[in-house]
Amino acid sequence: MKQQVVDSQVSADADASADVGVGTVPVNADDSPSPAVVFDRASVAYGRVPVLEDVDGVVRAGHMVALIGPNGGGKSTLIKAILGLVPVVRGRIQVLGRTPARARQDVAYVPQADVLDPDFPVSVSQVVLMGRYRQIGWVRRPRRSDRLIAAEALAAVGLAHRGGDRFGTLSGGQRQRVLLARAMTQQPRLLLLDEPFNGVDTLSQQALLSAIDGLRAAGTTVVISTHDLSLAHLACDDVCLVNRHQFGFGPTAATLTPERLRAAYGSAALELRGEGVIVAHP
Amino acid sequence: MLSRLLLDPFALPFMRRALIEVLLLGALAGGVGVFVVLRRLAFLADALTHAVFPGVVIGYLVSGQSGIVPGALVFAVLAAVLFTVAAARARVGQDAALAILLTSFFGLGVVLVSRQRSYTADLTTFLFGRVLTVDSAQITQTAVVAVAVGLVLYALRKELLLRTFDQQTAQAMGYRVVLLDLVLNLMIALVVVAAVKAVGTILSIALLVVPAAAARLLSDRLLVVTGLAVLFGMLGGWLGLAASYEASINHGVRLASGATVVLALVVFYLLALGVGPLVRRRWRRGARLPEDVADVDELPAGRLAPGARTGGGVR
Repeated sequence: MKQQVVDSQVSADADASADVGVGTVPVNADDSPSPAVVFDRASVAYGRVPVLEDVDGVVRAGHMVALIGPNGGGKSTLIKAILGLVPVVRGRIQVLGRTPARARQDVAYVPQADVLDPDFPVSVSQVVLMGRYRQIGWVRRPRRSDRLIAAEALAAVGLAHRGGDRFGTLSGGQRQRVLLARAMTQQPRLLLLDEPFNGVDTLSQQALLSAIDGLRAAGTTVVISTHDLSLAHLACDDVCLVNRHQFGFGPTAATLTPERLRAAYGSAALELRGEGVIVAHP
Repeated sequence: MLSRLLLDPFALPFMRRALIEVLLLGALAGGVGVFVVLRRLAFLADALTHAVFPGVVIGYLVSGQSGIVPGALVFAVLAAVLFTVAAARARVGQDAALAILLTSFFGLGVVLVSRQRSYTADLTTFLFGRVLTVDSAQITQTAVVAVAVGLVLYALRKELLLRTFDQQTAQAMGYRVVLLDLVLNLMIALVVVAAVKAVGTILSIALLVVPAAAARLLSDRLLVVTGLAVLFGMLGGWLGLAASYEASINHGVRLASGATVVLALVVFYLLALGVGPLVRRRWRRGARLPEDVADVDELPAGRLAPGARTGGGVR
């Protein structure tokens, strides 16, 4: 209940501040909107080494899509390609009808919390406010409205009371929530999350999922890379199964077949590092 | 007594000029140093100080003392650009690329200076500087650099913070990280150039790193860290000069002033090392309300893998 109130406040604020350059375009799902991301037989590469080849499919606006595949299979690379940070060497990736680099202002990215230095002298609310930096612009200080948006996003992930703490003092799951809150303050049309549930406790996982639900209710498209197959079944409309190349892209239940999983994961299909993440019942 | 030690020496004009110079340098290097320490760029800063060396020598050979700063400036900018590109490419690994550039620049400088008759004397001056011979023109130069660098750091504080904390997200948000890196590297290079006559190329690395590292030990708040770093840089300069004057004049022990400044900074660092844990723990405890400690989700991270709950997802 509280969640809903907070979310409507966030979007109300977004509408109010639309005249200062905040781009929130409501997506009407009934109107069969143009797709959020189009992969057109896309291959991405670091230097000359292709990491992921022949990705072909569509992320529909407002949908939540899981990127599934083993580590090193190219999930993170694909997310970076959607951001335009890794070159598409063949084929094409179109984001919100534009090239990936041009779409960045409407795309928010949530990195894995554990890549960030836990000793860094920065407070939780400072981290969340970073999401507003593009809107604030160079040189200028954050406005009151920016701080309000940041506070509301932090509340939406259930960490309103931790704003003054140093980022590194939070648990891994809480840090992940802070990073999601930061992405929320960007008021994105497309949200990209890189393995947000790795090493995250159940409560933080729930908090992340409910905040993501709030965003989806507001029309945000979500692409999430994960190991968690049941999360894909529960929360995602579609999945893209990748390991160096694409093993399937489409509605979750139809795509995550045991055959495809075995093909993508090889011998790891039954057991992935003992975490029981991939357990296929034929 | 204290005023005799800390104030009286600076009644002399050359000591006063030296004091103004080290205060400016300390503040400047302390501020830039915060980013050097947070980005873990101490080695890059060290490489820059060495890369500036041949510029100093060439400048000196071309037009004497007045050529040092222009020569240093040219090489500093060149090195900053080269280092930024090398780091962005990172084919060989950043540290190896830096080491190659560092040694080749430094070797070039030594080869050039070794052709001079007064080889060792010149080398010493270039490496360790002569803060007591600083003139007012140089103070003006340092002041201009300090103001310019301060303005740039202030203008880009948000973006530099974001890039320092989270490079990937900075890129994802559309910031040109290479450009931000170039700006910071140029700022570091400018500090080295400003410091080159006073403390030499080698010791300027201490001005950049030590005050900021000491400040970092005392606070978790970036604004406080920056303030303390500036303060330590200035205090170290002041106390170092006073100590070297006292030792040299009243005790007949010749202490190189630039090096004494560095030692004063190191003393601050050691003190901060001892005091830091106490101060920071107290602040953290004071900052948190009791109910926050019992946060609903204070579960140990990572104990519950998502899959453990949800295994067998595929039928």
